[in-house]
Amino acid sequence: MTDREEKISELIKNELNNVDFFIAYGRGYDPIHVKPLFVYEEKDLDDLVMNIFCVHNNASYLKTVKDKKVGIVVKGCDSRAVVQLIQEGLINRDNLRIIGIPCTGVISIKKLKEKMDISRVTEAKVESDSVIIKTSDEEKRFEKDDLLADKCLWCQYPTPVIYDHLVGETIEPSRPKELEYKIVEEMEKEDLNVRFEYWNKELSRCIRCYACRNVCPMCVCQDQCVMESRNPHWISLKSNITEKVMIQLIHAIHLAGRCVSCGECERVCPMDIPIFKIKQKMNQIVEELFDYKAGIDLEATPPLYTFQVEEAKIKEREW
Amino acid sequence: MAEEKKEAKIVGFLCNWCSYGGADTAGVSRFKQPTDLRIIRVPCSGRVDPLFVVKALESGADGVLVSGCHPRDCHYSEGNFYARRRLEVLKRFLPFMGIDPNRFEYTWVSASEGQRWQQVVTKFTEQIHNLGPAPKREEKSDR
Amino acid sequence: MVMSMSWFIPENEFDIFVKNLSKKRRLFVPVKENSIVRFVEFKDGIKPYFEKQATSSAKNTIFPQTETLFRFEYKKDPKDLKKFSVEISETIEAPETVVLGTRPCDARGFLVFDKVFLNPKHPDIYYQNRREKSLFITMTCTDPEPTCFCKAVGSSPADSLGSDILITKVKDGFFVETITEKGEKLLNELNLKDGDAYSKEAEKVKDEANEKLESPFDTKGLSADILKLFNTNFWEKELAHCLSCGVCTYLCPTCYCFNITDETSDSEGERIRTWDACMFFHFTLEGSGHNPRPTKAERFRNRVGHKFSYFPDRYDGMIACCGCGRCIKSCPASVDIRKVIIDLKEAANESA
Repeated sequence: MTDREEKISELIKNELNNVDFFIAYGRGYDPIHVKPLFVYEEKDLDDLVMNIFCVHNNASYLKTVKDKKVGIVVKGCDSRAVVQLIQEGLINRDNLRIIGIPCTGVISIKKLKEKMDISRVTEAKVESDSVIIKTSDEEKRFEKDDLLADKCLWCQYPTPVIYDHLVGETIEPSRPKELEYKIVEEMEKEDLNVRFEYWNKELSRCIRCYACRNVCPMCVCQDQCVMESRNPHWISLKSNITEKVMIQLIHAIHLAGRCVSCGECERVCPMDIPIFKIKQKMNQIVEELFDYKAGIDLEATPPLYTFQVEEAKIKEREW
Repeated sequence: MAEEKKEAKIVGFLCNWCSYGGADTAGVSRFKQPTDLRIIRVPCSGRVDPLFVVKALESGADGVLVSGCHPRDCHYSEGNFYARRRLEVLKRFLPFMGIDPNRFEYTWVSASEGQRWQQVVTKFTEQIHNLGPAPKREEKSDR
Repeated sequence: MVMSMSWFIPENEFDIFVKNLSKKRRLFVPVKENSIVRFVEFKDGIKPYFEKQATSSAKNTIFPQTETLFRFEYKKDPKDLKKFSVEISETIEAPETVVLGTRPCDARGFLVFDKVFLNPKHPDIYYQNRREKSLFITMTCTDPEPTCFCKAVGSSPADSLGSDILITKVKDGFFVETITEKGEKLLNELNLKDGDAYSKEAEKVKDEANEKLESPFDTKGLSADILKLFNTNFWEKELAHCLSCGVCTYLCPTCYCFNITDETSDSEGERIRTWDACMFFHFTLEGSGHNPRPTKAERFRNRVGHKFSYFPDRYDGMIACCGCGRCIKSCPASVDIRKVIIDLKEAANESA
């Protein structure tokens, strides 16, 4: 165990009496796969890890355990989801114990997979700005930045925005904010019909597994989601492109002004569909129109839950 | 009579208190209007979930028009203020998905503005005719 | 089973082989798109990808995610508008199909389907028609992944059960052998070179592949263990991190559950069959609003129970899992069914 893991472990041990369980990170089936670890008793902590492969947003589980007292380990980006949930009154701050982890980025397994065969990883470690991955037949060294998830490259919240305990020193944001909507701007260089066909092609792979929805910390309707509702009948059960597009439109629209940019929707997609782009476009619009970012301020109101009589940035329609 | 164009499929969501009345006024006053618009009456523009618009477009509508009371004139005081935010977000979002933002407009028409309704509907219908039928999503055979 | 005959395709003639296969029939091949691989219909310009196990299984090739069972239309009687009739049109589509590049686990998955859909008392004609006209050309898995566990469920990387033709990569090309008569008939059409000279080399490749994989658990007594833990809180704790999405079921070569719905607009519509997943809340939701599996713990218990207990108990011990490991590899929350089973056996032991 590293020092940091020891500290987290210790904190959880002390807090276990105050909560029903703790959600941390644990060892997965190989060194590059970590799993969300539910700690019920001390011995569960044997599996605890805290490293660059802790990609999951543990706040995703909060919606499913509303009536419980829960402890949670969060990175900067994850903590925004916690704030947003509290802000919307969907969870109770008093039921939460939060361990914040200042974070300098997590690995995108998809990026790593493009660079090497990851089927037999025996060891993975970080040495300053390099990531070293050992497999049974080779050892590869990568620049850390080349492997980080996109969201980490423009991260403005490396330190959690809410916590009871912080493990490690506060980290000041050092990534360029201009990159935040780069994936959106790239897309917008294309013509409308190119974009139309792009989404038809990408989304045709969708298998309607709803992983993007279930992992989304802000998708709080859970079993009552309109995507599956037969009454009202928003979408049919067919696997046509229209349905698949509708699913993403519903997700994006329901997240307008609420999405905390954790990128989990895209990370979990088993068909590797770049749906984070869609959410980022929505976030860009909300930021432009209402000067608002979700999950930063406990006292703020999501922009679509409120209004101004005179809107600063919406023109009265000309006709 | 000039050559009739093929009718476009246009869906209109009109608030009960203003725009629906405005359309009625236009009718009663016998203002000539294009017939492409299919009107769905809603209690308030605040009732219009952006998904209504999206669903109409995905179901084959060539254009969607939402019309409510002028801001500050909402029958329910603030419904259209909420609508304005949602619809503006939607309008800016559609082009990202490759949907022409000109296929969707939102506007404010009061019950007394029969003439204005006529202009709005004529202009929007023309706009949709210029755009032509909405592109269809092609089904892939490998599902 | 027929006497195994063998052929050989030199490496540089494999593309022609693929093309020839697609000439008279519908051909499915694995294709890489972004970082994933899935089975799609072959057409010119498509480059098949055989290096790694496909991300999704090949089940869509004969069990599409959506299929129309029939179409219907209400027609009004022009003489009496109160009367109307319903016209129903059949929609069975079953073209001759070849699936190239399946792994032994993919092909084996259909044996589970067969038990259910080809039950002699009430066969499913949609599945039956397509199954009869489909042929699987499987590739020996020379490079099993760390998530693979086919040996634990009675298969192996060179298993030919469920396939019609087995291809094994040798140094200079591909060693091709027939497993079924259907396979032999197809290969006879294609004018391939004799493969006898390569059979020894191929056997060696297969043996090596089989040795590469270990069996992570033993299925003996598993069925009873699952039932023993049925009413315990094992499931809730073990699967607390499950997201209850459909990744595992939809990528699984053996998950065959489906839903049937009528999708109607105006006076016409169709009855469709679509994939369904036991991990979804709506899967067991009853009309009354009652749900016998309200949480993910019960749902996952069903998934494991179905595969390793209820199904084998009902169908002569056949385990409804082919060990492909897709549910592990693509799980967003890193749920590992092998670990669930190992933990389960341990828990059952402790409670004994």
